[in-house]
Amino acid sequence: MDTLVARYSRPAYHENEAFSEEERQGLVDSVPSLSLKFAMPPVAHPSAWLRAATDDRSNPSCPIKIAHGTTTLAFRFQGGIIVATDSRATAGNWIASQTVKKVIEINSDLLGTMAGGAADCQYWLAWLGMQCRLHELRHKRRISVAAASKILANLVYQYKGMGLSMGTMCAGVTKEEGPALYYIDSDGTRLAGNLFCVGSGQTFAYGVLDAEYRYDLSVEEALELGSRSILAATHRDAYSGGFINLYHVKESGWEKHGFSDTNPIFWKTKLEKGEFSNVTSDLSERV
Amino acid sequence: MVKVGEGNSRAATFQPHLGRLSPIEIYHARLGRLGKAWQRDLSSLSSGWEVLLGITGRDFTLIAASKAAMRGATILKASDDKTRQLNKHTLMAFMGEAGDTVQFAEYIQANAQLYSMRNETDLSPSALAHFVRGELASSLRSRKPYNVNLLLGGVDPITHKPSLYWLDYLATLAPLPYAAHGYAQYYCLSILDKHHHPDISLGQGIKLLTLCIDELKRRLPVDFKGMVVKAVTKDGIVDIEFDDDKVVKSA
Amino acid sequence: MVGKDCVAIACDLRLGLQALTVSNNFPKIFQYGDNVFLGLTGLATDLSTVSDLFRYKVNMYRLREERNIAPKTFANLVSSSLYEKRFGPYFVSPVVAGLDPKTSKPFICGFDSIGCIDFAADFIVSGTATDQLYGMCESLWEPNLAPEDLFETISQALMSAVDRDALSGWGAHVYIIEKDKVTKRLLKGRQD
Repeated sequence: MDTLVARYSRPAYHENEAFSEEERQGLVDSVPSLSLKFAMPPVAHPSAWLRAATDDRSNPSCPIKIAHGTTTLAFRFQGGIIVATDSRATAGNWIASQTVKKVIEINSDLLGTMAGGAADCQYWLAWLGMQCRLHELRHKRRISVAAASKILANLVYQYKGMGLSMGTMCAGVTKEEGPALYYIDSDGTRLAGNLFCVGSGQTFAYGVLDAEYRYDLSVEEALELGSRSILAATHRDAYSGGFINLYHVKESGWEKHGFSDTNPIFWKTKLEKGEFSNVTSDLSERV
Repeated sequence: MVKVGEGNSRAATFQPHLGRLSPIEIYHARLGRLGKAWQRDLSSLSSGWEVLLGITGRDFTLIAASKAAMRGATILKASDDKTRQLNKHTLMAFMGEAGDTVQFAEYIQANAQLYSMRNETDLSPSALAHFVRGELASSLRSRKPYNVNLLLGGVDPITHKPSLYWLDYLATLAPLPYAAHGYAQYYCLSILDKHHHPDISLGQGIKLLTLCIDELKRRLPVDFKGMVVKAVTKDGIVDIEFDDDKVVKSA
Repeated sequence: MVGKDCVAIACDLRLGLQALTVSNNFPKIFQYGDNVFLGLTGLATDLSTVSDLFRYKVNMYRLREERNIAPKTFANLVSSSLYEKRFGPYFVSPVVAGLDPKTSKPFICGFDSIGCIDFAADFIVSGTATDQLYGMCESLWEPNLAPEDLFETISQALMSAVDRDALSGWGAHVYIIEKDKVTKRLLKGRQD
């Protein structure tokens, strides 16, 4: 018991979503001590050393370039949750990949999105999937999205200041919660909300999304809005691009709605709807 | 000699032997050191929270500028007009470092008016834009550069074609159908990409502007105290009544 | 890029501020006379300053000499003009392409920001996608390409290179320069 108390001796969060006593216990049991799992560099201040070696913003010629630069979004609406992302990975200005899967299928019901360090997100969301499965086996029922997101938030908080870089969203629909969406980042922030955009292209996606977002959107409208918001961000943000990865989360689980190249979608949107009037498609055109 | 300052867009590397830190370097250094890699942070720049917007349409150019005059954590004035009329058909909006902005704008305004008086004809918006660029460019490599970002909107007095020019403190000039400065760029350009058409009417233009301002009210952490909105048409510059008290609900 | 009795020069159309794309219609190639072309990459403000400066200098040359400037002469003008700013350089890396007005022989060269000329017989690249462009040109270029083949080669090289660079792209302009014909084409590239 003392060890348990010691582990929870930090001031607890006072949030109004209620965990059952059982779930609380589960959170504690399922999170193993992780402090000895990773090899540390043999230097005096490992986190400062890592930052110096990997932060390509303050030092463009840093030896290790971590893939980042992203647009991801998710929003709640009457029919569930839409999750959409781009698919570009950049290391500095180099486009390392145009076909990254930034939606991580935690299990058949839960989705996570990836922004920040690609490896951090992939690893810890896969780990979260494992924790969720363990929860199911222990308690014979699905984990709530609130609980799952808190497991991840607590985990990243343990590593705060050590250089984890992730901005992620957890989306799922459960009977108890309805459509539930959480934003978690490597600072330890965890927020429930209707609508989030994360990544270097977030503002561009917010612009398009906020202008037409309503909770009572139809499924088709919601899918179109999600995909159009990512398209907007890929156009304006140099570090977003590639393909639009689109998902719809329902109570019966998530449904994939394609991994589609932005190029044909862009020209279709421009030429058929007359949007993107700033882009020339004819040499004789002048602004 | 190794090549420096390469880049199809903006040079990101600079030689240290320039002697002193140029504004370009300071700007990049500030951008570089702040924030997480996947988030941007311009909030330490004094002009980070000002808003400038410009939209062209069928026969007009709309220019909007935030009303707040900010110094540090204080709003000194909530009804500031960050625009100057250069001649009958050209309006310039400005933001940037305190002092530089008005000094530069009024210097340009005086020269534009002097030209009009001497020649009994106005410079076209395009000619003015290039004049302003020239002045900013020579200032950039002077001992004390102006730190001003500008939007220049106009309607050509002869062809009646509306035009909008985006200029930053580095004297980068770009003619655009719609443009913004500061954080507004990051929120509004995507909205305008979706909803703008070259042949919109003034009414539609104002609606589009409202869409942009609503988003800024929703997402910007600082109150910019509403907007001064003006339209340049072939008949001159008109003030547009703009509802600053509209409350925007967040999603 | 050099072909058989022709040269090609191409640029992307992006103007950006770090990650933000400000304009998608910002050409970086400037024409000085019938068959002298200058491509500029680097700091956007210096592109305008430098291109305007050379427009002035080339016009003055034409008035004084009563003839068009030759590419080789222009290259030396570029070089000495850039070196004039040795201790406060323009942040640009220019590329010159053209045909000699007398012999019609192709001429291309590149510069660093303070005017060191790099003559080449095959191709010159510059800008943020330099590494990618070298890779593409080394593998696609071959000697004595006909104008249409040269167009195909330079276009494929530019588009493929730019698609691996986050900071360039958003469409491209390609000029094919022949003895008495200049063809300008717009490439509709990826807009992300």
